[in-house]
Amino acid sequence: MEQSSLARREQLMSALGTLYESLGYARFSMRRFEEYALYLENKNFLKSDSVLTFTNPDGKLMALKPDVTLSIVKHARRERQGLEKVYYKESVYRLAPTANEFTEIDQMGVEAMGALDRYAVGEVVRLAVESLRAVSGEYVLDISHMGFASGLMDAAGLNAQQQETLFALIRQRNAHELTRLLDTEKVPAYFAQRIVLLSKLSGPFPETLERAKDAVVCEGMAQALDELEALYILLKAQGLSDRLLLDFSMLNDLNYYNGLVFQGYVRGVPRVVLSGGRYDRLMRRFDKEGDGIGFAVYLDELTRLLAERPAWDADALALYSPMDDPAKVSAAVFAMAASGLRVHATTEPPADFRAEKTLRFDGETFREV
Amino acid sequence: MLNIALPKGRLGDKAYRLFNACGYPCAAMEQDDRRLVLVSDDKRVQYLLVKPSDVPIYVEHGAADVGVVGKDVLLEGGNDVYELMDLGFGACRMCVAAPEGFRENLGAPLRVATKYPAIAKRYYAAKSRDIEVIKLNGSIELAPLLGLSDVIVDIVETGSTLKQNHLEILETVLPISARLIANKAALKFKTCEIQPLLATLQTILKKGENA
Repeated sequence: MEQSSLARREQLMSALGTLYESLGYARFSMRRFEEYALYLENKNFLKSDSVLTFTNPDGKLMALKPDVTLSIVKHARRERQGLEKVYYKESVYRLAPTANEFTEIDQMGVEAMGALDRYAVGEVVRLAVESLRAVSGEYVLDISHMGFASGLMDAAGLNAQQQETLFALIRQRNAHELTRLLDTEKVPAYFAQRIVLLSKLSGPFPETLERAKDAVVCEGMAQALDELEALYILLKAQGLSDRLLLDFSMLNDLNYYNGLVFQGYVRGVPRVVLSGGRYDRLMRRFDKEGDGIGFAVYLDELTRLLAERPAWDADALALYSPMDDPAKVSAAVFAMAASGLRVHATTEPPADFRAEKTLRFDGETFREV
Repeated sequence: MLNIALPKGRLGDKAYRLFNACGYPCAAMEQDDRRLVLVSDDKRVQYLLVKPSDVPIYVEHGAADVGVVGKDVLLEGGNDVYELMDLGFGACRMCVAAPEGFRENLGAPLRVATKYPAIAKRYYAAKSRDIEVIKLNGSIELAPLLGLSDVIVDIVETGSTLKQNHLEILETVLPISARLIANKAALKFKTCEIQPLLATLQTILKKGENA
């Protein structure tokens, strides 16, 4: 029996919810809006700068939330013992990627805040992998570590503004302009070569990790590779290493993210469908104790994948005539529905309606035509 | 099958010749017909002929896996794609030009006529200069002659059109050339198809540089 796209979407959301709860993540729910200042101050954390705002009766500028992580971190307790694990299922409001209009988007995600050890980090990444698997068997999880790039940039003595420009080019894998820029900025060849290499360092995990080792120039970079290797070993032991890619061209904003970062793709969707990382710096910005790691699943990006119109709008089209006894029709229709069929009972089918079989009421029961 | 978006026109013709040299020939491309989707004989690639400014859109949304487009279009659209290679051809400059003998009045916002409002805004914002953008779709050179704008921001290839219209170049905004772009997800799922293409392109371009 075929399911409607809505049913598949809801089923996915409920499967993800069950998955997160089974590992002790508690549902976190929140208000639909926040003060706009929160987003203004943390503009770079957001996927896009456009925020839907409105004014409160007391004159305060409010915003329908474009992001959930900021709210969770903001409202989290300041001090904590151990690890706080939460997940959410919320609507966020963002500009649609195709049109200049706001849309309401379902988003689910996981956050772990507190004392993070290698197991805890591995747990969150494994949940990300499992989330992608719940969507499609053909997925890819791109993994990187911010410490690798930022360690290199700091060692090369580049300032924050230069780093931001270079990061943008690395993200585009734009080696040609990167080379030109490093040349005009007179960055020594020793560092320049390695920075250009970042834009090209991507591929299967073990090989790419080996290649990255040659670029190490400081302790921070070595540590980043060490963490990545530990994560790979952990996921490999669970048989989840096949669809992991190491990609040093993937970089998030340094003001928030410091460690591991990752992005998920599934075949058939042209954009990122899952995104996450380690955000200890975000925790510091909000003056919270402990470290943080989490990810979000962009259910809106999956809509097209899940939204194919099924071949049949119903399993059975049950046609009756206005002259038939409504009680008898009702009994027959509900009996069919109870047997597991999706039945559409009507006197005349809607335009463009397709059912696997068409039945007609003969006064007593429905028979196939 | 690899989907390649090419801009209709001269840039697209050059790009096709390059792909042909890389071993991706398509008999249908050699004929002058009006089809927009052309499949190569060995079914390895499918060329999509689209309006130049639409190339990054096709690629960002995954309708094409890779595409060839001018840096001007790429900067103006700001699409989220990988920019993998500078193909070198289609070289020109994005320039600010004004009527000969133009003296800028720093006391008023500069009126800029252009096909590229995003590039113009970014360029002048970086210089903290207040401007008024007038978006035009063609014959940009006409704007300062008729007093519609003070200057223009446009692509200059040889400079002969400017000269004929008594305009001169004030500043170069940036150099432009054709770029190879790719969809982010496609590069992960179609690696085995895209990587050989990139490798061959690189070899051919290098040969051209040395020659």
